[in-house]
Amino acid sequence: MNIIEIRGLKKDYPLGDTLVNALRGVDVTVESGEFMSIVGPSGSGKTTLLNVIGCIDFATEGSVQIGGREITAMNDRQITDLRLHKIGFIFQTFNLIPVLDVVENVEFPLLLMKSLSRSEIRKRADRLIAEVGLQSFAKHRPSELSGGQRQRVAIARALVTNPDIVLADEPTANLDSVTGASILELMKDMNTQEKTTFVFSTHDANVLKYARRIVKIHDGLISPN
Amino acid sequence: MLLVQLSLRNLLRQKRRNVLLGTAMAIGVMILVVANSFSHGISDIIFNRIMRYVTGHVTIRFNEKGGIHREIFRDRDRVWAAVKDEPDIERAEEAVGFFMRAIGNGKADNIILVGANTKIGVTKKELKELEESFHMIEGGWKELEKTTVENPIIVSEEKARTLNVKKNDVLRVRFRNMFGQDQAARLTIVGIMRNDNIFMQPVCFLELSNAKPLLGYRPSDTGTINIRVKDPQKNARAIADRIHDRLKPRLALIGGTLVHGALRSEATVLGFKSDDDSQAALAKKLTLTDGSLDPAMKKDGVILTSPLARALKVREGDTVELHYDRKFNEQGASRILRVSAVCEPTDGLGENVVLMNEDKFYDAFYEDWPKNDDPQGRLFRPDERNSWVPLLAPEWILLKRTNTTDDYIKKYRDLGKMKLKATTVDVSTMYETASDILKLEGVLNLITLSAVLVLFFIILLGVINTLRMTIRERTREIGTIRAIGMRREDVRNMFILETFFLTLFSASIGVMAGFGVMGLLSRFTFHMSDNPFGMLLVNGHVYFLPTFLGIAGNVLLIVAIAVITAYFPARRAADLSPAKALGHFE
Ligand SMILES: Nc1ncnc2c1ncn2[C@@H]1O[C@H](COP(=O)(O)OP(=O)(O)OP(=O)(O)O)[C@@H](O)[C@H]1O
Ligand SMILES: [Mg+2]
Repeated sequence: MNIIEIRGLKKDYPLGDTLVNALRGVDVTVESGEFMSIVGPSGSGKTTLLNVIGCIDFATEGSVQIGGREITAMNDRQITDLRLHKIGFIFQTFNLIPVLDVVENVEFPLLLMKSLSRSEIRKRADRLIAEVGLQSFAKHRPSELSGGQRQRVAIARALVTNPDIVLADEPTANLDSVTGASILELMKDMNTQEKTTFVFSTHDANVLKYARRIVKIHDGLISPN
Repeated sequence: MLLVQLSLRNLLRQKRRNVLLGTAMAIGVMILVVANSFSHGISDIIFNRIMRYVTGHVTIRFNEKGGIHREIFRDRDRVWAAVKDEPDIERAEEAVGFFMRAIGNGKADNIILVGANTKIGVTKKELKELEESFHMIEGGWKELEKTTVENPIIVSEEKARTLNVKKNDVLRVRFRNMFGQDQAARLTIVGIMRNDNIFMQPVCFLELSNAKPLLGYRPSDTGTINIRVKDPQKNARAIADRIHDRLKPRLALIGGTLVHGALRSEATVLGFKSDDDSQAALAKKLTLTDGSLDPAMKKDGVILTSPLARALKVREGDTVELHYDRKFNEQGASRILRVSAVCEPTDGLGENVVLMNEDKFYDAFYEDWPKNDDPQGRLFRPDERNSWVPLLAPEWILLKRTNTTDDYIKKYRDLGKMKLKATTVDVSTMYETASDILKLEGVLNLITLSAVLVLFFIILLGVINTLRMTIRERTREIGTIRAIGMRREDVRNMFILETFFLTLFSASIGVMAGFGVMGLLSRFTFHMSDNPFGMLLVNGHVYFLPTFLGIAGNVLLIVAIAVITAYFPARRAADLSPAKALGHFE
């Protein structure tokens, strides 16, 4: 089953009087359970593409289907709920909530969902924190963690809702290569354990070897392999 | 719950900025609370301390025969009946007072002698309030009731000094009484008081029951009536209106017997109005059979109806005696009347009627208030539709109610021109008589309002600015939580909640600080006995009266302003596109 199906995606950004054509007609399909990387030089449109897949930015033209639903036809409320339930985000700059400690950060999306009891929420958060190996840091605030630890928290947060897709925009760019490698190992483990689809972008060749599928993007267009 | 937690923690994050804004708001609220409590305190002083003792909240004032000093009404019972059953009256009291020249030990000065009621129905609490308002240095209020000395009085410390008198000394006073006669009296000082109110310094208190006869009131007379009202702002006007309604005068008449030699006849004596219009109308209406109208018009002679003249066998130029029973005296009254005209009892005029100029008529009517016992209904009591009534003298003139000082002043100015012969009865409230003092309350409210406005701007600018900075700083965070799946309205509410809590905390601290400041300010003792503002102090202390409703209202208002102000930047933050917000770099 195609969890992501993108056809003829174009994305223009207005820049002064001109338009920047960030994506110029992209077709991508991603199957459920894939571990896929988007690669390309800086400015090629990786972030833009991931944003559109993650439903935090919208296509100028073309069709975007997530889990079989056309998102271009949805309103903000529906899209927000789709993000909450179906998509997990891992950011290059980690983007943890600074006023919440590790457990609270991981619990955060579950609290937004309002569908589980407090104890279930705590149980799931604890499990994910254990999986990323941060049990002893549960009560720490993000500012008290290293970059790699922060990114682990982010992974736990992205996965805690059991999303269909986890999107990661250059998850290792702010980490040294050893830490970066361990993060990708972790992501890959999660991919096999939880059967979650992973799509991540990178321009780091070292990272690429983890990917099972690579999609190259150049100048807003997918380049053939 | 999550939102509350988030907003509370976020509040603590930008400590400096929030403490700054919070302090500004707290100071604003503090000023507001102090101003509000002060203003309440002042109105409490005005309404419940000054007005209560000086003018009352509702006043019934009488001026007999147009004399401004003749503050007397001759039928005490009638007036008090109109007051008696009002439910919201706390106390009604007769107020009599007079300017006098006093001579002490080699020194002379003016004093105001005021009747003070310490006897009838004065509760312990009231006596205590009295004692609180006027500190006794020597003697006490109870000594005003002494019967062993002549006219026991309490004087102010300042007067005692200027007159060079001590306790137990005697003051000689001279004054012109309300009827224009010069009088002298001796007053014995039984107490010396101190008070902060400059207006009270010339006042000397004499027990009301001693003051009234001294000043020329008989027991059946009443002076000005001051009425203290419960919740005056709410009740005073309505009570005044109702009392006013009950004080509508009827036609004045004297029922008596006319005697001419051996002949007697019952008769009803009426006054006719003496203004030019009424006299002209009367001249047209009367059909004379004897004599002429002119002498009666000029207060020299009366007009008899022809049946009465026939019964008494009198004609123009004869004199008759009028005898009648008095309401407040066992002994009857009598007057000699000169007949100057005889008229037909036309147009509904009674058969046995004497008409006389109101000026003379009121002399008899007020001086010897008639009993008018009439079990057989033989007196001529025309009803309102009788065409003679508009030309005849009423028992008194009830002045129109007024609502403002301007109207009130105008009313009395017009009265001065009219040269009324009857007693005027006026029912007024503090709104008319003391609006200058009340204006002070208005000024204070204005100050409070300005404080609110200033605060409003502090909040407006502060909240908008702080929130803007906060939102800019946290743009990426907004992007993150939106990407994770927090809804727009929750993001908005989170920021509004932040402002709400900040304002609530600041306001609470402001309220506490306000109480602190009030506590501190009311510790100071001010000596302002030579300054009119002194009367706005209680025992030399600034007086604050915080009210729960006022403070809660203020806090609510401020929180509401803040929340409304926060709404717009908060909504803008919530409406940010998550992708843009995430891409935002400081
Ligand atoms: N908000 C924006 N406004 C204008 N132009 C934009 C905006 N975001 C991206 N672009 C442009 O769109 C193109 C694609 O940008 P994008 O961020 O997707 O590249 P990227 O592949 O993620 O690059 P990098 O590897 O440097 O992160 C670039 O030319 C960029 O300048
Ligand atoms: Mg990028």
